[in-house]
Amino acid sequence: MTDGLLVLQAAADTANAYRDFPVIGSRAAIWIAAEIHLMFAAFVLGVPIFAVVAEAIGIFGKDQRYDRLAKEFTRLLLIAYSATAIWGAVLVFLLSTLYSKFWAYLTAIFAVSMWVYVSLFFVESFTLYLYYYGWDRWKYGRSKLVHLGLGILLNIWGTTVMFIADSWLTYMMTPPRDITPETSPTSIKLWHAILNHTWMPINIHRLIGNVVFGGAIVGAYASYRFLAARTDEERAHYDWMGYVGNFIAISALIVLPFAGYWLGREIYQYDQSMGITMMGGFMSWLWVIQAFLIAVLFLAGNYYLWVGMGRIPGAERYRPYTKWLLVVLVLGALVWGTPHTMIADSRELAAMGGSHHPLLGALGVMSAKNTAVNLMILSTFLSFLLYRRANIRQVVPWAKTGTRIQAGMFVIAAAIVLFFGIRGYFVEAIVRIGYSVYQVGSVLACIIFVTLIDVLMARGAQSLGAIQWGKMPPRSQYALFILAVTFTWLMGLMGFARSGIRQHWHVWQIMQDTTKYAATPALGYAAIMISTCVLIFLSLVAFIFWLGGLAEKSTFVPAVSPVEAPHVGD
Amino acid sequence: MWATNLRIIGIVLGVLALYTLIANKIPQVQSEVPKALNLGSNVTPEQLVSAGDQLFHGAGGCTACHGLGTRAPNLLTDEKGLGPIGARCGKREPGKDCKAYLYESLVNPRAYVVPGYEPIMPEMGRTLSPQQLWALVAFLESQGGTVDVSASDIPAASAAPGANSGGGAAGAPKSAGIANGSTDPMEIIRGAGCIGCHKIGTEGGAIAPNLTHVGSRLSQALIRECILKPDTRVSKGYEKFVGVMPKTFGNMLTGAQLEALVQFLASHK
Repeated sequence: MTDGLLVLQAAADTANAYRDFPVIGSRAAIWIAAEIHLMFAAFVLGVPIFAVVAEAIGIFGKDQRYDRLAKEFTRLLLIAYSATAIWGAVLVFLLSTLYSKFWAYLTAIFAVSMWVYVSLFFVESFTLYLYYYGWDRWKYGRSKLVHLGLGILLNIWGTTVMFIADSWLTYMMTPPRDITPETSPTSIKLWHAILNHTWMPINIHRLIGNVVFGGAIVGAYASYRFLAARTDEERAHYDWMGYVGNFIAISALIVLPFAGYWLGREIYQYDQSMGITMMGGFMSWLWVIQAFLIAVLFLAGNYYLWVGMGRIPGAERYRPYTKWLLVVLVLGALVWGTPHTMIADSRELAAMGGSHHPLLGALGVMSAKNTAVNLMILSTFLSFLLYRRANIRQVVPWAKTGTRIQAGMFVIAAAIVLFFGIRGYFVEAIVRIGYSVYQVGSVLACIIFVTLIDVLMARGAQSLGAIQWGKMPPRSQYALFILAVTFTWLMGLMGFARSGIRQHWHVWQIMQDTTKYAATPALGYAAIMISTCVLIFLSLVAFIFWLGGLAEKSTFVPAVSPVEAPHVGD
Repeated sequence: MWATNLRIIGIVLGVLALYTLIANKIPQVQSEVPKALNLGSNVTPEQLVSAGDQLFHGAGGCTACHGLGTRAPNLLTDEKGLGPIGARCGKREPGKDCKAYLYESLVNPRAYVVPGYEPIMPEMGRTLSPQQLWALVAFLESQGGTVDVSASDIPAASAAPGANSGGGAAGAPKSAGIANGSTDPMEIIRGAGCIGCHKIGTEGGAIAPNLTHVGSRLSQALIRECILKPDTRVSKGYEKFVGVMPKTFGNMLTGAQLEALVQFLASHK
């Protein structure tokens, strides 16, 4: 950045390039508008994925309850869409009035994509109306498949809209390197700006994150309805719904770290200093908080499953294993939360006896953290597996061999994770980074092949008794609430990390923020902002759920034999 | 039902309060904006050192790596008995005094990568003004050495071509660019820091393509292009290092130096 341009930018700032927002300031105003808009956006993008998958299960599994479940959530989407649009409009108005010079810069590059965006949002909204209001009209036969197609189309529009918006924010983070402060924004080719370093990693990360978020909100909704239920049948329905939400959220959560790793790698490849700021600079403590939140998610998700095994006849066979799974999860969380390199003053350095803690420092490196998170993922998968097969006895002749092969796969995957985790201490960083691919690969392979074997082994399995849906203690439902709040808070925290690594730049090293809010705040302030946004969002979502209840009574239908409900994935 | 509602509200607020409390209990580090310096012609070395100190420990972001000694050398403590950076900077490169070495290390950090560390430092000329860069040099010199940065250095840096894009010529005051303008190819190669990454003969590192037989792979025109626009052609296997090689040699080398270097490399078949 040249001095001359800095001077010009500063001069422009005196010419109403910025305005301030009363009381809370322009940064806080934009923060709240953007974050709540994004939370609603995640909701309206995640839930349709959830809904269309549930509808498909209902069609092909011939289980009406999934169809009703999908409809119940699509009804909530109608109101949530309005909230998303309103918060989006608030964000645009605030940006254009408070940060007008920056907004003009962005629109000069992305104007065409903004027009496409708003057109697609229009199309998406009407697809949603067709999808919801046509539910009962296109209910049978071929028309039901057409209806399912509408749901898929809704997801395609939504995902495309998200991809477009992602291009704007990723351009701010990682503008193509040939673009300089001197480059006129009107001369920048749109596609060139869209195809920046972090565009696709953010797209994929958000897509998976939205599924996690949608599942968590569904789980929270179901848990509320469970706690408020007046009949056993209603309680059974919402218990099942909560299980489905949690299953989807945790399943997608398992994949999310891999997408996050890809994003992190792209950031490092784009600009090492940006990566270092994120992981070892002023944001280093953020990852300790993130580790704590992920630990809460893993523990709460697994706890819900373990409590849930209490309503499955035959699950008592597996209960002794849960304490060992808990040990792995807690140890993994402790390792993941161990700081490595972070800004410390001379007093703290002296107290530690160096830049790292002599003992715990060894647990703070990526080798240890990758090992910990992969073992936590394996443990969570094992919890699901035990839950899945809790009330069945396999009758296929190769059942014992199959179980041994499954156990062998777990052992091999864990051994590979541990081997490369330990070996990582003895090689250079560039080699060590490559090891994480082997660790992740072995865990994914284990998940895929063990699931495949399990599905084949479950064919014709003998039932040890039906799942007693609804026979869940209330504390399990509060775990689902904790999951939803933690997912939402984590989303806010990661949003701060992504946006904060730009530091005092609107567009990294191209357009700087010269307002009094340019400094990136510390985590304490960020946490207050995140909690405020989460509280506003959850309050509005609660209002939407209440409205949904006013508009139509609960859509649960007593199944012919509710206790025979299958597990997800069966 | 009210009891359930209150319990849910209590859990939500409790979880939010817990996360907010933890985030407020950990050390609070804010990323400051580098303050624009307006140093006059009568600026004293003490003022420069003070401004550099603030940058080093604050908005410059230097301590994220240089405060640890793992990602990059710790500049404020002794290293291998050579003392802190102010004491050791003058011995780093033959023929390069402390001031020139430090300035060039800031604007073209890949020129001198200390063995054992990776070339991860960004070009500080992209984010800091020449005044800020010189303040940093003064501060680093003050760590065990003698501060010889003066007001006369700063305008010289500002006026020099390429100063703002990290031009090394500007960073080497009172010298004539890389290797003092020498057209001896090996002096240029050593002076420009090529062997920090490239191997040529028995010298150099292995994180960039080996140049020992580069003439058999590339024509003179392509070698010239690779020096001036290093990212336009990327050798197979080195894709992940795209962006590492400085794009500033066009400003740093004289025309004679560039041609001498191109012909020298092209002759290595």
